[in-house]
Amino acid sequence: MSTVIQLIVSGVLIGSVYALMSIGLTLVFGVLRIVNFAHGEFLMIAMYGAWAISHWVGVNPYAAVIAVVPAMFLFGGLVYRLVVSPGLDKPHLVVVFATMALSIFLQNAALMLMTADLRDVPPIFAHSIAIGPVYIKVELLLGFVVTLVCTAALQWMIKRTYLGKAIRATVQDGEAAMLMGIAVPKIFLITFALGSALVGLAACVMLPLFSVFPTVGLNFVLIAFVIVVLGGMGSIEGALLGGVCVGVVQSVSGYYVAPAFGQLFFFLLFLLVMIFRPNGLLGQKGAAMLGVNE
Amino acid sequence: MAGVAATGGGSGRISLLPRRGQMSWFEIALLLGCVAWVGLGLAPSLADVTVLTFLFAGLALSWNIAGGYAGLISFGHAAFFGIGAYASTILLLSYGLTPWVGILVGAVAAAIAGSVLALICARLRGPFFILSTLAFAEVVRIGALNWSSLTGGAEGLSIAPMPDLANMVLASKSAYAALMLGYLGLAFAVTRGIEASRFGFYLLAIRDSDEAAAAAGINPLLVRTDAMALSAAMTGIGGTLFAQYFLYLDPTYVISPELSFQFALLPAVGGIGTAIGPVLGAFVITPLSELLRSSLGNAAAGLHLVIYSLVLIVVMLYFPSGIAGALDRLKRRKASP
Amino acid sequence: MSTLLEVRNVSRSFHTTRAVDDVSFEVRQGELLGLIGPNGAGKSTLFNVIAGVIPPTSGEILLSGATVTGWKPYAMARAGVARTFQIPKPYRQLSVVENVMMSAFLRTKSMAAARELADTVLADVGLTAYRETPANVLTVGLLKRLEVARALATRPKLVLFDEIMAGLTPAEVGAMTEMVAGLPARGMTVIWVEHVLYAIMKTATRMIVINRGKLIAEGAPAAVARDPEVVKAYLGEEMQLA
Repeated sequence: MSTVIQLIVSGVLIGSVYALMSIGLTLVFGVLRIVNFAHGEFLMIAMYGAWAISHWVGVNPYAAVIAVVPAMFLFGGLVYRLVVSPGLDKPHLVVVFATMALSIFLQNAALMLMTADLRDVPPIFAHSIAIGPVYIKVELLLGFVVTLVCTAALQWMIKRTYLGKAIRATVQDGEAAMLMGIAVPKIFLITFALGSALVGLAACVMLPLFSVFPTVGLNFVLIAFVIVVLGGMGSIEGALLGGVCVGVVQSVSGYYVAPAFGQLFFFLLFLLVMIFRPNGLLGQKGAAMLGVNE
Repeated sequence: MAGVAATGGGSGRISLLPRRGQMSWFEIALLLGCVAWVGLGLAPSLADVTVLTFLFAGLALSWNIAGGYAGLISFGHAAFFGIGAYASTILLLSYGLTPWVGILVGAVAAAIAGSVLALICARLRGPFFILSTLAFAEVVRIGALNWSSLTGGAEGLSIAPMPDLANMVLASKSAYAALMLGYLGLAFAVTRGIEASRFGFYLLAIRDSDEAAAAAGINPLLVRTDAMALSAAMTGIGGTLFAQYFLYLDPTYVISPELSFQFALLPAVGGIGTAIGPVLGAFVITPLSELLRSSLGNAAAGLHLVIYSLVLIVVMLYFPSGIAGALDRLKRRKASP
Repeated sequence: MSTLLEVRNVSRSFHTTRAVDDVSFEVRQGELLGLIGPNGAGKSTLFNVIAGVIPPTSGEILLSGATVTGWKPYAMARAGVARTFQIPKPYRQLSVVENVMMSAFLRTKSMAAARELADTVLADVGLTAYRETPANVLTVGLLKRLEVARALATRPKLVLFDEIMAGLTPAEVGAMTEMVAGLPARGMTVIWVEHVLYAIMKTATRMIVINRGKLIAEGAPAAVARDPEVVKAYLGEEMQLA
């Protein structure tokens, strides 16, 4: 019994970290209506960045946040300008292919620069802490806290600031937003960059938990897709909920079922959600029906 | 009198009528060129590339049936490729069934899988559809990897390399090139046939508007399923041919996302939704990719892919209607100065 | 004249809102029935129920005596019920003639026959000059005409028009009205939902008026126009006529 509780608690915590990594993806879809197929590679780059700072400057990855997050924001803006924005007025598959090609580019650039070796940071906290019958890794708990704070901050931003209102307006009706004087292209740019910055934050929190290598993005982008689909494209709370679900499922099934089938479960879960609740648990109604140029 | 070559058009608009049932001089020349290329004897260094290029052209045309005309952008077509390849190979190794028949079984199996995928994705569009095709292919791959008793798992399946025409193991690379050219020809003929038919029109309808199609008496789900099934079957045929050429199958390569990406990439670069586009895409990209791999593959791990992906990004962003579209624009500009 | 379409006690609710409330009426063969009502009255919902886009929550639809309730849109089209879309949905990447051919293919598999039928229909609606034009560059007026052409190309028994006049110039309205008026003579029955009242008043043989989901008036256009309930519906309670 206590095993199950332990598994669930760990699952919730790791799930929140997964959620943090996925918020950028869902935000970009909600506003720009595109899927960034290089999302996993953004995470990979950010993790390498956090590792590099940690390795050469000597601080822990959490402190590296002050450099990584702004750097990822700029990186996101750059990618938007060069790769995404030229494709927005073209058939949808242009952006799909461009971001997929970007993903291949980043993976192999990382391979060339950093080799395939796994990179880690040395453990930061010596012991797990015990809360009741459960042992929790401090890194996980920190990740959980960061996710909650970040989500709350995002919600505040979306509801209370002009930028947030502009984003919501753009999500609801881009044309109307433009007519109202909202610079929609700028909103797109900021949203994309913001999504990238969020990935940067997630990377700093994830590095103490996972190693980084050039294709690490592939493992996580899958998880991110399932989370975003479960929670509903465009919904931040949905990403949180989806993340927790995925974390718990992974934690519990990883213990009771062979790891080879772990990935299979993810895909089946994904397909099941697509068949029965394509809008996700909390997503925009009809989001799954959104066609290419709508 | 030869008609007008397939067009992509600047706005992505594809007009069916001028091309219907007619081959342009360009296409005829290309076809004759291919036949000559193979018939006049292939230099061994070029044989491999030729075989692969013709095969991938056929695979690109197959993808294009669903992806180009019907707008069903799939990044999971390697699943159908694998199903075809494994079906015929398993039947050969376990029951001695000649691949000349096994290829049809594989095609049917792939068609069924394609129908299943279409049904799963019945309500999905855009990125959701694409992601679902990815997930589907991964389910198939992991299934194949783990069902070792059937598929040999990670160790894969091997076919004896002894030339045996009755069992589709050919004696020379030239012979394989001819076989692949036959596949290319078949896929091209099927594509042209579709273009000249009501079914071809219906594919375009569901690409643009399901609702308008339904109001015209078209059953969108049925058309979608048919398109996917046909595309899958054609892809499965390519899978069998691949198995008979390579003589070794393993799920990690045969049902990989990288391969799926290729099947979609070639038509996209060559000109989606046209008959000649996927062929052009394959004729340009496959040799290029082999060249990059052989000359740079050893220089630095991943360098050839870095260059490859950058080329891709540029092509996709600045030539969205692909090579066919660019050629068409050139022709129009020359026609009306 | 036999009854072609019967709408029997049809209701449609969305959660707690009754968009269509127990509506019943008949359409006889060869009629040109006008369906009007103020904004938000439920005309579109009723239209979509008849066209098969959404099923009624209760009630039945009968076509030539046969129950077609809940039939999908493509089944309705095959049964001879054509419809236009209020916001045109052309196949953007195809030309005008190809757009119409798509509908013509309902009646034939042959490319040549479909093209011929399409050309005939294009001539009917006056779009022949735009035959090869890509649909994505057409103006609203032309797109609406294309909608009509596509509906007619299915050789329907019953045509459902959904606000085909909105956005048209007066000259275009005149031409379209004339064409619609000629349809019954060619064997078609028409149900016409419209906001541009003067067009529909002139041509309809019978009118029904919907307000707040309910059918509030039925009869000849002149009579309906004078019906106090109808006036109240359009102008609001304050302007009741004595």
